[in-house]
Order: sequence, then structure tokens, then C-alpha cells
Amino acid sequence: MAGTAPAGPVQPAWDELLALFRDEAGERQLLERLLDLWRREHGAKAAGLYLDHSGTLEREAAVGDGLPHVVEAGSTDGLGSLRFPGGRLLFSPPGTLAPQAADRAAASDPLTLLLAASLKSCRLKQELKEQQFQVNYRVVELEALYDVGLAVASTLDLDRLSEEILLRAVSLLDARRGALYLLEDGRYRLDRIFGGEAADWLAADDPGLHAFLAGASEAPASLLPGARYLLGVPIEVESGRRGLLVVGDKESRRGVGPFLTSDRRTLSLFANQAALALENARLHLQALEKERLEREMHLASEIQRQILPKGAPSVPGFDLVGWYRPARQVGGDYYDLFPVRGGRIGLVVGDVSGKGMPAALMVSTLHSALRLLFDHLEFGPLLLERLNRHIVESSASNKFITMLLAEMDPRTGVLHYMNAGHNPGILLRHDGSVDQLGAGGLPLGLMPAARFQSRALTLEPGDLLCIYTDGITEAESQDEEEFGMGRLIDLLRRERHRPLQELVEVIPQIVGEHSQGLPQGDDQTLVLMRRDL
Amino acid sequence: MTETLSVTVDRRDGLAVIYTEGYINNQGGEEIAKVAYKLLEEGYKVLLLNLAGTKIVNSIGISILIEIIEKMLEIDGKLGFCCLTPTIEKTFHIMGLAQYAPIYSDEASAVAQIRA
Repeated sequence: MAGTAPAGPVQPAWDELLALFRDEAGERQLLERLLDLWRREHGAKAAGLYLDHSGTLEREAAVGDGLPHVVEAGSTDGLGSLRFPGGRLLFSPPGTLAPQAADRAAASDPLTLLLAASLKSCRLKQELKEQQFQVNYRVVELEALYDVGLAVASTLDLDRLSEEILLRAVSLLDARRGALYLLEDGRYRLDRIFGGEAADWLAADDPGLHAFLAGASEAPASLLPGARYLLGVPIEVESGRRGLLVVGDKESRRGVGPFLTSDRRTLSLFANQAALALENARLHLQALEKERLEREMHLASEIQRQILPKGAPSVPGFDLVGWYRPARQVGGDYYDLFPVRGGRIGLVVGDVSGKGMPAALMVSTLHSALRLLFDHLEFGPLLLERLNRHIVESSASNKFITMLLAEMDPRTGVLHYMNAGHNPGILLRHDGSVDQLGAGGLPLGLMPAARFQSRALTLEPGDLLCIYTDGITEAESQDEEEFGMGRLIDLLRRERHRPLQELVEVIPQIVGEHSQGLPQGDDQTLVLMRRDL
Repeated sequence: MTETLSVTVDRRDGLAVIYTEGYINNQGGEEIAKVAYKLLEEGYKVLLLNLAGTKIVNSIGISILIEIIEKMLEIDGKLGFCCLTPTIEKTFHIMGLAQYAPIYSDEASAVAQIRA
């Protein structure tokens, strides 16, 4: 454009145009000036330069009144039109140029050619701007994935993470709606939603859902009701599926449309982040739960240790010892040895059904109740009946306790006992014969109106009493053979002369040898009492 | 969380503050543009967009905001943003909006500085 002005009805001020061309901020003024010159050249009232965006003409610059900002390319009736590559020159009135004159004008008129060149320049600038926009937005996407990754690594707040992941996925995919589902009890539960409604639950085994996630079919209608276009991906970790991430209705300036293949990849990347977050949170919760349980078990174990007698009471003329080993950290066996008013001795061995914490809690209840009853009642069926009613009322319906309860008068050697469904106690007489302290009632906790019998026998000098729990007699060998009462009696006979402190260790040792290294399957308890010779 | 955008305006001396509540997407962006262009017709040349009520912006919304910024530049006006979430602020920086429309942390400092 330097130098000589072309001949024609209008003489453009080329210096002015050159100055506008050189001024980066003068682009619009240059276009308007050229349009104005063209309008005057051809006698139009208005003229405008339009870029074609897929059939929609959007105005870049115009002079004069009455030209629309946006018009469909097929709807320019009422306006004159010159086609350029990438757009149009629209003008009014339409009769400014006769149709056959239009082509000649485009071919030969310098102003028209300049306008065509300007439109091409506008088009290139627009394309560059759009490409730059896309490049920048890819950076936004990468930064978003990076930020979410950092958040996943640094926090275990699943609520906040779920929201963050869903919002990022919705915005980056230009979606109108989104939902995050988590797998729970074999179904997908709606955890987070953005925009509109979603089904609260989805069946995990729905073949339609599977096909949709694989990209093979439309989404189930209940997924995001009202959404026309959906995209969904599973949230998966190594150990399996954890949930779903779904978005609906991809936006553009013209409305909504289907998602692209690249969108599936982006959504999958966010789903991976969600998977990591969920797995981290699950493992953390598991670790916390394990820690809590261990703390509770330790506490319960301490409480149990406190409940058990620290040692046997000293009984003139008698030797007395107790021993207990739980199968786990806490157990359901119980024993107690305690002085009772009148110089007598109380002996209890009990076995709560079940193992672990629930059984341990029941032992604690039993201990408190028993001591209280012994303080207030004489030894006899009424004591056990009261205890039974207390157990029935205060424990779960499937819990019961077997118990052998005894009270011995050391002055006479008379032992009164009540057996509520427990293993028969063994009284090895000094002559080697055996009396059994058999059952005189149901286990405690089964029936509120249960009745119990009290029986008595006398310990003679040299007699050895053994009360035990079934963890001793039911300990199995590798061949599943129980140790049994017979073996226990034989063992007592064989070892009867040992000091009781030794005998109470030898018995479980021999039982352990019978089990041939198998882990202890049940709690084991022993109470031994021998009358001195 | 509010998804559909709502817009309110506070007209002050020579400055209008536009408050957004919800998702700046196609619909939300168009709503902001409608309000902004009306304010320009009323003679306001300094606009402040307070996005405290917005947690999410998509690319369509951003492109509309860019158009508003370009329009402001054409008429020698000023547009600023305040109260953005860290995510949105980062996005605006990457997308180049911050080059032409300053971002302020809060409304008070925005109002004090945007007119300068």
C-alpha cells in the first residue's frame, strides 16, 4: 500500500490508510475507513465486513446504519452480498451493485480487493486466537489434573476431594451436569451431583450401565434424567471398581452436543484421581479402625487382667490356684477365687459363649454381678437364679454362660456347688477314684425362670479338685481328636503329687502337646484345689 | 451448590459491581454479558466482576468474559475481577484474562484500585 494512489471516483487518503495500517491499535479504524471508502465509491448507505463461522456471519466492522451484528449465511435477503474467502461483504441497499456487477467489482476494484485481504487477515487472526485459546485450555486441563493429584496426595478429606474432582471434570469438559457415584453394598450410591437430578442408586450388575460405560450404548434413562448427551467412566483401583464419574450435555456457543473421544480420555484421568483418593481414604479409615480396635482390645485385656484374681486366697489346710489363657487378646472364660463371709471360700469358673470383645464385655458384667450377689445372699439356688435373671435382662439373646460355682468351708472341707450347664468338675479322691461335679441346671442367660440345684460333697485330706473350661478338654489334635475328660483324669492321677503351682502349668503344656502345634482354639481356664494331707 | 447463574448489580459513582452466583458457563456468561453491555449503554466505563459466589467456570464462560474484556478495551473502559477461588484465578492467568483485566483479592481493594 505504499506510494501511488489508484485512479477512481474516490481518492483514498493513502497516507491516512498507511498510518492506520501501521498502528496496531488502528485495525478496526482501518477496516471502517476502507468500508466507508467502498460505500462512497459504490453509493451504498451501509457496508459491513462479516466472518463466516460455520454458516453464521458475524460482523467484524461496519459503517452506516441497519446492518445486523449476526446473520445466517442463508438469510441475507434484503442485503447485498459479496462473497469473499472466509466471509462476506454485506451492504445496503442491495441494489447498490447489480448481481452481474458484483463479480466484476470483486475482481477489479482495489478497495474491494483490500477489503477481501483484510477479511482474510481477520480470519487468520481469529483462527490463531482460537488455537491459542485451545492450547491455553489444555494447559488449564493439565494444571487441574496436577492440582487434583496434589490434593489427593495431601488430604484424606473424601468429601472435599469428591467435590473438587466432580467440579473440575464438569468445567473442563464444558459439561452442564455431572455426578459421582460410589460403590456400596453391591450398588452405586449417588455421592455428589452438579446440575439437575440423578438416580440415587444404580444397580452394579445392570448390563445397560456396563455397555454405556464401555461407550457401546446410550446411558440408562434414570442416570441423569433430562440430559441428552452423557459420558461416563468407571472409577477403578487394582482391587476392583469403586464408583462412576458421569457428565452430561457438552456445551458450545450454540447449545449442547455430544462429548468427544478426547473427553472420554480426560474424564478417565479424573476418574483415576478419584480412584486414588477413594483408595487412600479407605486404607486410612481401615488403619484408623484397626488402631481403634487394637486400643480397645488392649484396654479390654487390661480390664480383664484387673478382674482376674491376683492370687488365690490363703486357705488353712488347703492349696488353691487358678490359671487362665485366652485364645485371643481378650476372652470369654472367667474364674474367681475369693473369701466369703464366715471364713468360707468362693470358687467360680465360667465360660461365656462367643469370643473376643463381646464375650469379654459379658465377663465384666458377670464379675460385678456375682460379687454383689455373694455379698448379699447365702450360697444356694436363689443366688444363681438372681444371677441368671440379670444375665437374661442385660445381654443379647444369643449369649449364655456356663458356670460352676462353689463355696467351701475349710473347717469342714464341705464343698457346696452349683453347675449351670458347665463341664463336670473332677474330684480326684486320695484313693484314685473320681467323683464328678455334674450339671444341676441350664446355662445362665437362656431362660429367665431357670432353676438350679445345689449339691455338696466333702474334700478329704489328699483329695484334688479340678474345675476347668472346655478349652482344655475340647482341644483338638491334628487328627481332630479331642483331649477329652479321660485324658485329663489320667493326667491328674499321674501328676497329682506335684505342687499345684507346677500342676497348673503342666496341664496346659500337655494339652498343647496333644494339639501338636495347632493354635489355641478356645480360652482355657483351670482352678485346682487340694486338701492337705 | 447453585448451578444456574444469577447476577446482581451495585451501581456506584462511576463504577458498577457485578456479583455472580453460580456456574459461569454458556448461559452464565451470556447473562453477565447482557448485564455488562447494558451498563456500558448506561455510561459506565469501569466494571468490577465479583465472583465470590462462583466456584466453577468453563471454557465457554471464559470465552464470553474475554469478549467482554475486548469490548471494554475498545471503548477505553476498565474491567477487573475480585474474590476468585484459587482455581479460577489460576485459570484466568493461564487463559490470559489477567493480562487485560486485573484480579484483586477482595472487593474493597478492587474498588480502591480499579479507578486509579
